[in-house]
Amino acid sequence: MRNVVIAGFVRSPFTLARKGALAKVRADELAAQVVKGLIAKTGVNPDDIEDVIMGCAFPEGEQGLNVARMVSFLAGIPLSAAGTTVNRFCGSSMQGIHQAAGAIQMGAGEVFICAGVEQMTRVPMGGFNVSPHPRLAKEYPQAYVGMGITAENLAKQHGISREAQQQMAIESHAKAAAAQAAGKFTDEIVAIVDGNKTVDQDGCIRADTSMEGLSGLKPAFDEKGTVTAGTSSPLTDGASAVLVCSEEYATAQGWTPLARIKSIAVAGCAPEIMGIGPVPATAKALKRAGLALDDIDIIEINEAFAAQALACLKESGMKSERINLDGGAIALGHPMGATGARITGKAASLLRREGKKYALATQCIGGGQGIATVLEAI
Amino acid sequence: MAEIKKVAVIGAGVMGAAIAAHVANAGIPCVLLDIVPKDAKNRNAFAEGAVEKMLKTKPAPFMHAKNARLITTGNLEDHLNLLADVDWICEAIIENPAIKRDLYQKLEGVRKPGSIVTSNTSTIPLATLLEGLPDSFARDFGITHFFNPPRYMRLFELVKGPQTRDDAIAALAHFGDVVLGKEVVRCKDTPGFIANRIGIYWSYVAMSLAFKHGLTVEETDALVGKPMGIPKTGIFGLGDLTGIDLAPHVNASMLRLLPATDAFPQAFEPEGKLVRLIGKMIEGGYTGRKGKGGFYRARGKEVLDLETGEYRPKQKAALDSVNASRKGLRALVEHGDKGGKYSWDLLSRVLSYAASLIPEISDDILSVDRAMKTGYAWKFGPFEQIDQLGTRWFADRLRAEGRPVPRIVDVADGRPLYKEEGEKAYYLTLSGDYAEIPVADDAWSLADKKRGKARIAGNRGASIWDIGDGVACLEFHTKMNAIDADILNMVKEAANLHKKGYKALVIGHDGDNFSVGANVGIALFQANVAMWPVLEGGIAEGQNIYKALKYSPFPVVAAVAGMALGGGCEITLHCDAVQAHAESYMGLVEVGVGVLPGWGGCKEMITRHVLNKKRPGGPMPPLATVFEMISTAKVSTSAAEAREMLFLRETDAITMNRRRVLADAKARALAMVEGYQPPKPVELNLAGASGKAALDIAVEGFALQGKATKHDVVVSGAVARVLTGGDKDITEVTTEDDLYALEREGFMSLIRTNATLDRIEHMLTTGKPLRN
Repeated sequence: MRNVVIAGFVRSPFTLARKGALAKVRADELAAQVVKGLIAKTGVNPDDIEDVIMGCAFPEGEQGLNVARMVSFLAGIPLSAAGTTVNRFCGSSMQGIHQAAGAIQMGAGEVFICAGVEQMTRVPMGGFNVSPHPRLAKEYPQAYVGMGITAENLAKQHGISREAQQQMAIESHAKAAAAQAAGKFTDEIVAIVDGNKTVDQDGCIRADTSMEGLSGLKPAFDEKGTVTAGTSSPLTDGASAVLVCSEEYATAQGWTPLARIKSIAVAGCAPEIMGIGPVPATAKALKRAGLALDDIDIIEINEAFAAQALACLKESGMKSERINLDGGAIALGHPMGATGARITGKAASLLRREGKKYALATQCIGGGQGIATVLEAI
Repeated sequence: MAEIKKVAVIGAGVMGAAIAAHVANAGIPCVLLDIVPKDAKNRNAFAEGAVEKMLKTKPAPFMHAKNARLITTGNLEDHLNLLADVDWICEAIIENPAIKRDLYQKLEGVRKPGSIVTSNTSTIPLATLLEGLPDSFARDFGITHFFNPPRYMRLFELVKGPQTRDDAIAALAHFGDVVLGKEVVRCKDTPGFIANRIGIYWSYVAMSLAFKHGLTVEETDALVGKPMGIPKTGIFGLGDLTGIDLAPHVNASMLRLLPATDAFPQAFEPEGKLVRLIGKMIEGGYTGRKGKGGFYRARGKEVLDLETGEYRPKQKAALDSVNASRKGLRALVEHGDKGGKYSWDLLSRVLSYAASLIPEISDDILSVDRAMKTGYAWKFGPFEQIDQLGTRWFADRLRAEGRPVPRIVDVADGRPLYKEEGEKAYYLTLSGDYAEIPVADDAWSLADKKRGKARIAGNRGASIWDIGDGVACLEFHTKMNAIDADILNMVKEAANLHKKGYKALVIGHDGDNFSVGANVGIALFQANVAMWPVLEGGIAEGQNIYKALKYSPFPVVAAVAGMALGGGCEITLHCDAVQAHAESYMGLVEVGVGVLPGWGGCKEMITRHVLNKKRPGGPMPPLATVFEMISTAKVSTSAAEAREMLFLRETDAITMNRRRVLADAKARALAMVEGYQPPKPVELNLAGASGKAALDIAVEGFALQGKATKHDVVVSGAVARVLTGGDKDITEVTTEDDLYALEREGFMSLIRTNATLDRIEHMLTTGKPLRN
C-alpha cells in the first residue's frame, strides 16, 4: 500500500469567540487565509491538489454552502481541484485527514488539503435552528445531552476531583504560555489580516491561571457539579490546515514530510460519556499500527474538558508528561471543526521537533465517538 | 431659530460625560473632550475612560449601549478642530471661573459663527463667567444647568445673559424640551439659580434641625420622606445617595455668593453639630453609598446615631405625627410631638424662604414649583405646599410667631396660590392678579384636558375623556394602574367609540406607570375556590376585548410611559401604534407569578419576531428570542431597548419629554385616521414539536445549572408549547385564534398547579417573586 504523509501544518491564531480579535472575521475568509498560508508554506503546486476537505462541526450560515468550495475560490485554488465539507463534530478535520489518507491509498489522488474551521462567534454551537427529534429527545435524551454534562458524568464515574481538573487546566495554560513566550507557535501560525488589522497571536491563553482563581468559579453546567468554565475549552474562533499527500509525491518534490500516517480509527461510545471516545479509538488505532501505548512518545489529546481528558488518561494509561507538550484546548481554545487538523498537524510537527518515533492524535466527539491517528517519524 | 444638530461637551467628569450620554440618547452626535492627563500614554484617556465607565454604571446613563457610538471622544489639545461643525458647546469643567474663561478664549478660535456656548455651572453667575470676553462671545453664551443624573432628572435650568441672543436661548429651550426631554425652566442670573438656591438651603436646614429637635436619622427621614412628599429616601438617605462629600462644596459656594442677610448664611452654623459630623464622616471615608457608608450603611440595616456619631442597628421610626400626616400636610405640622414641631420648623423656614425669593429668582411661582419637582424630585413644589397648608393659615401662624410673611403670601390674602376655573388653571402673581397657566398644543397632561369637563364614560378603574379633534382618551386609574375587570369594561367600551363619532383613541394617562400588569388577586381567589370555568372565561374575555381593540375600525394609539408590564404590556401590543416615553419599561413578566401571558402577549410577540425581516433564517431564532424574553420575564430598561425587543415596532415612536407623550400620541392617532384600515390577521408556521424539544432541552440545562427552579421548568414548558404552535407541525398554519386557544390552555394548566398559586400569593403579600 502507498504511504501517506503529513507534509505541512498551519493554523490561524485561536481567539475567544465574541471577545477575541477574530470575532469579526467570517469563517470562510479565516479558512481561506489559512489555506493560502499552507500553500505558501509548503510550496505545493496548486494544480496538483485533488480535493480540499474542510472539517466543520456546524456547517451553516457563513460556514455553510459547502464551505470547502467557497474557501477554494477565496484562496485561489484552481477550479480543477474539488472541495467537500466533512462533519464529524469535533472530529471533523481529523476525519478529513482520514478520508484523504484512504483516497491516496486507493490511488484516488496524490495531494489533499485537509483543513478545518469553526467560527463560534458567528455560527452558534448547535447551529441556528436546533431541531431535535421529539420522540428521540424523550425516549433517548442522551442523544442530545449537553457536552458539559458529559464531562460531569465522566468526573463522577471516574472520581475526578475538581482540583485535579483545575490542575490540568493550570498546566495546560502554563505549557501554552511558555510555548507562546518561546515563539514555538510562530512557525505554525498564519497571521490573519482583517482590514488594516493583523492578528498573529493566540488569544485564549491565560498565563496567570491559578488554583485560587479557578477555585472561585461557579460550576458551569451543573450547580452541584465540578466542571467550570476554567476547566473547559473555551468557545473559539479559528481555522487550521494540513497538507496530506502520498510519500512518493513528497519525495518527488524533494520534501521531508513531518510524519507518516501509520494508522487511523474511529469508535463509538455512549453519548452521555462521549468524552471517553479517545480510549476505544486509540485502542483500535494502536492495534492497527501494531503498537502499544508505551511506544507512543508524543500524544495530542484534545482537552474538550479537563474531566474528560483526565478520564481518558486514567482509563487508557496515557502518561501526562507525554501529552499536549505546548498546551491543549483548555488553554489554546477549541474551534470545533479546526481542532482535528490542529492536533494531528501538531503531533506531526512535535515528532520532528522532539526527535521522537511515534505520535498519537486523538479526540472525543459529541454524540459519543472517538477518533485517533497514529503517526510515525520519517 | 438655528437647529442644534451636533453637540459638544467639554469636561468628561461625572456630569459632563453623563450629559454627553444623554445627548446621545436623543440620537444626536456628541463630541466629548477633556484635558490630556499628565504623562499620559493615551491622550484621550479621560473622555474614553468616562464613556467606558458609563457603560457599566447603574443606573445606566445610556438608554442603550449602542448610543455610546454617537460620542466622539478626544482631548482639548489635539481635537479642538472637532468643535468646528458643532452647533452647541456645553462646558462642564471644574467650577473655577478663571479656568472656564480660559477655555472660552480657546473656543473663540475654533467654533463656528453662530454656534452656542453654555456653561453647566451650578452656582457661578453668568456675569462672572463672561469677564474679559468679547461681546461676540457674550451674545452666543448662556447657562444650561442639568441635574444629576441627567438622563433621569428632568430639570434643565436655562439662564440668559443680558447680551445673549434670543434665538440662541430659543434654540436651547427647544432642544432641552423636545430633543432632550427636559423640563426647561428659565432662570434669572442669581446664585444657585432656582433649584439649588432652595434645595441647598432645604437640605442643610432639614438635616441640622434634626439635631435641634432631637430626632434620629430614621425619624427625620420618615417625616421628610412620604409625609412631605420628598423622595422616599428622606433627607439623610438622599445625602448618602448624592455623596456626603458634596455638601461642604455646595454649601461653601452658596455661602460665598449669597449676601449675609440671606436666610441660608443666617441659618448656617460653621461650627454646628451637623457640619462637624459631616466633616468627621468625610475624613473617615464615610461619604455615602459610594464610600464606606453614610448616614446609613450595610444596606440600610445600620444607622448613624446623630448624637454619638456611631453606627447602631436601624430602628423603625414610631412618630404619631407621621401617621397624622395621612390627613394632610397641615395635620403634620400641627401635631404636638417632636415630629410635628420639626416639620413646622422645617416647612415654615423652607416655604417662607422660597416665597421670599419671588421675584428675586423668578417672577412666577410656577417656575419655582416646576424646578423643585423636576430638579429635586419633590412631589409638590413649595407653593403647592403652601396651598396645602392654606395661605391664610400659613400667614396667620407666621404672624403669630412674630415672623415675616413673604410678599406673595401676603398678596394672596387668604386666596389660594393656584386655582382652577372652568377649563383653565391659574397661578397668583405678585400683582395680586391670577395669570393663566399656559397649555401648549403639543405638550400637555391629561389633567389639562380633563379640567372642567365631564368624562364620556367611566367606572372605578378607568375613564374615557374627550381630548379634542374627535379623539378620545382612555385613562386607567386603578392602584398602579393594574388591569382589572373595570378597566377591561372600559377598554371594551372604548373600542366602540367610533359609533359615537370618535375618529381615534389614545390609551394613556398622567400616571408614573402605564400599567404594572393584570390584577392577579382575582385569579388567585377564583383558583382557590376552583372556579375554573369562570377563570378561563376571564382569560377568554380579556383576549376578546384586546382582539376587538386591535381590529376596531379606528386607530388606537397607546401612550406608554414608565412600566408597561404583563397585561398592561399586552394591551399596548394590540394597539395600532405606540407612542412611548423614552423611559418606558416594557415586559411580559407573567412567569414571575407562575402563569404565562394569556391576553395575546405570547401571540403578538412570536408573530412580531417571526415576521421580523432582520432576523436570522429558520424557525428557531425568533422562537428562541421570544422564549427567552418571556420565560425570564425580561423587561426593557428604556424605550430604545423595548424597540430592540420588538415591544415597539419600527413604526412606533419615542418621545423624549414625558409632558409631550400624550400630545404626540394624539397627533399620531390623527395622522392615521385618513384611509385607516385595521390590521390583517396573520398566519404563521411555527416550529412545532421539534422546536419544543429544543427549548425543553435548553431549560433542563438551565435547571441543572441552578438557573431555573423546578417550577420554572413547568412554566417554561407551558410557554414553549404556546410559542411552538402546540400540536401543529411546521408545515401547518397556526392562526391568531389558535394561539389565543393555546395561551388559554397553557394559562389554565399553570393556574391549576399549587406552585403557581404559591407564586401569586407570595407576590401579593410580599411584592416579590417566589423562586419555587
